[in-house]
Amino acid sequence: MTQIEPDHAPTDSLSTAFTPGMTDNPADLADFPETIALPLTSRAPDARTAEFTEQWRNASYNCYSSGHKFCREVCPVMQVTRNESWTPTAFHANVVAMDRGELEITDVADDYVNCTQCGACEVRCPNTLFTGDFYRFRTRTVDVVKAVRALAVENGIHQSGWRTWNERTDTDTHEPVLGDVRVSQEHVRDWSAGLDLPIGGEAVLFVDCEAAFYRTSVPRAVAQILRLAGYEFGLMGEQWCCGGPAAEMGYVDQARRFAEHNLANWRSTGTKRVLVLDPHDYISFTEDYPKYFGADFDIEIVLVVELFADLIRQGRLTPTVPIDRAITYHDPCRLNKRKGIWAEPREILRAIPGLAFTDVDRVTQWSYCSGGGGGLPIEKPELTAAISANRVAKARQLDVDTLVSACPWSERPLSAAGAAQDIDVVDIHELLAQSLGLDIGTAVGGGAR
Amino acid sequence: MTLSLDRLDQVVTALGTVLAPEQILTSKTDRYNRARVPAPFPVHRWAERLPDLAVLPTSTEQVAAVVRIANDLRIPVVPRDGGTGLTDGAVPLRGGIVVDVKRMNQIHELDLVNRTVTVGTGINMLKLNEELSRHGLIYPDDPASYPCSLVGGRIGTSGWSLIGSRYGHTRDLVLSFDIVLPTGDILHVGDGIGRKITKSSSGYQLKHLFMGHQGTLGIATRATLKLFPKPEAELSPFWAFDNYDDAYACTGALARAGVATFAGAVLFDEHKVAYLRRDDEAYIPQPSDVRALVCAVLYGYEDEVRAGGKRLFRIAREHGARYLGDEISAGDWAARHDRYATPLHGRTKQGQVVPMSWHCEDSAINYSQLPRVTKAWHEIIARLRRTTDVFDDWGMFAYTQGATGADYLTEIDVGIWEQQLDDAAWELWVNAKREIAAVAIAAGGSISACHGSCREGEVDLVPDELGRGFDVMLDIKRTLDPNNIMNPGKYLLDRAYPGSAR
Repeated sequence: MTQIEPDHAPTDSLSTAFTPGMTDNPADLADFPETIALPLTSRAPDARTAEFTEQWRNASYNCYSSGHKFCREVCPVMQVTRNESWTPTAFHANVVAMDRGELEITDVADDYVNCTQCGACEVRCPNTLFTGDFYRFRTRTVDVVKAVRALAVENGIHQSGWRTWNERTDTDTHEPVLGDVRVSQEHVRDWSAGLDLPIGGEAVLFVDCEAAFYRTSVPRAVAQILRLAGYEFGLMGEQWCCGGPAAEMGYVDQARRFAEHNLANWRSTGTKRVLVLDPHDYISFTEDYPKYFGADFDIEIVLVVELFADLIRQGRLTPTVPIDRAITYHDPCRLNKRKGIWAEPREILRAIPGLAFTDVDRVTQWSYCSGGGGGLPIEKPELTAAISANRVAKARQLDVDTLVSACPWSERPLSAAGAAQDIDVVDIHELLAQSLGLDIGTAVGGGAR
Repeated sequence: MTLSLDRLDQVVTALGTVLAPEQILTSKTDRYNRARVPAPFPVHRWAERLPDLAVLPTSTEQVAAVVRIANDLRIPVVPRDGGTGLTDGAVPLRGGIVVDVKRMNQIHELDLVNRTVTVGTGINMLKLNEELSRHGLIYPDDPASYPCSLVGGRIGTSGWSLIGSRYGHTRDLVLSFDIVLPTGDILHVGDGIGRKITKSSSGYQLKHLFMGHQGTLGIATRATLKLFPKPEAELSPFWAFDNYDDAYACTGALARAGVATFAGAVLFDEHKVAYLRRDDEAYIPQPSDVRALVCAVLYGYEDEVRAGGKRLFRIAREHGARYLGDEISAGDWAARHDRYATPLHGRTKQGQVVPMSWHCEDSAINYSQLPRVTKAWHEIIARLRRTTDVFDDWGMFAYTQGATGADYLTEIDVGIWEQQLDDAAWELWVNAKREIAAVAIAAGGSISACHGSCREGEVDLVPDELGRGFDVMLDIKRTLDPNNIMNPGKYLLDRAYPGSAR
């Protein structure tokens, strides 16, 4: 039986509390020989995976080493699947296992489909909560998921839906958001029919894919509000998809090519500022493009919802038409969780007369999502639908009739779920346009050419 | 993995008669991600801890059917809830079927009149409280893993609540539950047979037997929980001391004061303060003469918390405490409790920062023994550090258990550089763990107040701690689990099956 106090307890410097690394520490701390810790090497079977795990080893280990899986109950995919294999923790643990030679990319690739890249796990992570305020540290789960997806594509492992999606995007320069109906460069500005918008100029409004071809009333509302405020802008010369979705699904070369095209096109029209209405584009331009182009990326990126809040503050926009709706606001993940933008949309909604606004705070909304991001609806539409149904059910508890969003990608799945639960889903830009007395109109006969 | 492919096919086919295909998981990642819990884990031997497959049942009946199949086929079953335990109850030691209950997370009945809620055991407490708060109620089971652990895991470990001095711990808060026994039979246990009875004297008191067994006696599937009014006020003062002895004396006095809203006190020793100062980004630096800290927390209506708080402040003052102020107190409690943050890095002896995993070794220790145990445990970790920088001493906490201050959850936090684990480091760790447990027993304590004691090292001493009681454990195990299929290999329970191959 061990005694409580050893007979001959050593009395060296390790027996008292000390701070490692201090210059005035006792000298004997340097005298203990290390018997176990060695420089780490990857045990991955091939050089490509080894390079990958060496890059992500510590980022993933910082998650693996934490017993507190706070990410789990806020993860939208986990909430509907309750499958621990598809949690942020698993996405990191797999990398640790790959580094140790236990798992290979072929074993893990399919699991990484199950992520909307919403970033809830990152903001809820104790590591982020602990050090985020002061040190700006953030656990990097979204980046790890993107990196594994890229490694899969590099190794020739494709998800069939994603491959087709990106092939069609590559061919048509826009995502195939209309299904069997082809999208094309020729029709990317059709949404602006009748608005007589100029092309190019110092500021351009970037409208791609879902907003340009499917939710066309959103850009129409945005363009008319900008015009009402006297804000000068044009449309892009030859606009391609921002490339973000390709990057999210692992098709990194294609994403880069699209980014290069867009930047070159902005340069060719003397554009200095890009107005963005889609939070997903906003991520691409503020996170991916600076990574691609470094200091050369000198384009100012303006998020329209922030601009509108500012124009209202300045008195350049004054919503006056009362809107008789009981609403709550859906924080788009890429604004709230990824970029910390939550105040301005609420400012806009509070400026609209007639609205009965029941707000749910941004932190509670860390666990809300439409399920529309990260390529999930392409591969797992049933999960997207379940996530949207969850989100709409939360709105339903509030006795509201309308869920307002600020993200075109969220609005398609949320609308489908809303129809089943008798909740209208409305875009914040359209709601503002309505309160400003604008007739959004519909796009018929093509837009600016 | 222990099953041959033929045998695995046989099991999957049998399970397919009671579960949908998507409820049966057999891929490598499914298994790798259900092999581990945050307790010290031999990462270098991960592959030896894999289950053969996992299932995601959605009802008590499905769990029972799975267990019946496993019992018929003599396949090990390992229950898994949140997988956040700090002993390795949810780690498969012999392969088999992991029964993952996370899909059983429904609220079945909220009884506002009798103040109870009946839930599936796969529900998380924070998520449950989000729903309960709409009714002004709270389920106050509050472990460090509060945002991610599940009700079923709390039953399996009979866990500790940080605010248990006010509201009780899991064993007090869970009134009754359904549990699937190792044979697949379904048993309802509580106080008596009632679902919502808090005190019965009828028959043996079976509820406690089926709590804290670390999954060796069955799988809890549905539980009825006791609810409280959501407290209106929280007070969480932090006090600084220039020496451990005064802080220790103050902690005891606070706990003995008998203040009804007192929910707990925590004592930070000198190593803990030194560690926070060097490596904890959330620690608000205090002058270097601060060498120990004490915090207390009170919950209740504002008027009663205010009155109780006044009394505790007076006691603290009499013990030489320096109050850190409202702002730091609220912030520190938020960091330690709400965020339950812990820095995941330590240092080599020379000061190099390295990523480490936080490991908390706990025991139940009487107040009078705390200083001796504290000293002895630090010496055990110092011995590890003389050999290698894989381990770091992150200091100790002592938490009050009840409102009277008889015994304390005493924990030493050890940083482990898991990336460096190998057989030699693991052996050092297991030996240290055994010594930590031995110190607790020699001090008249218990190996664990909270986590359980079935890990390598400490488990060797469980028969010493329980004496004749350990034989009773073996008898019960053999009776309820005739084929040793329920979480085999834990708690030395193989000894219940003399002559078996193990």
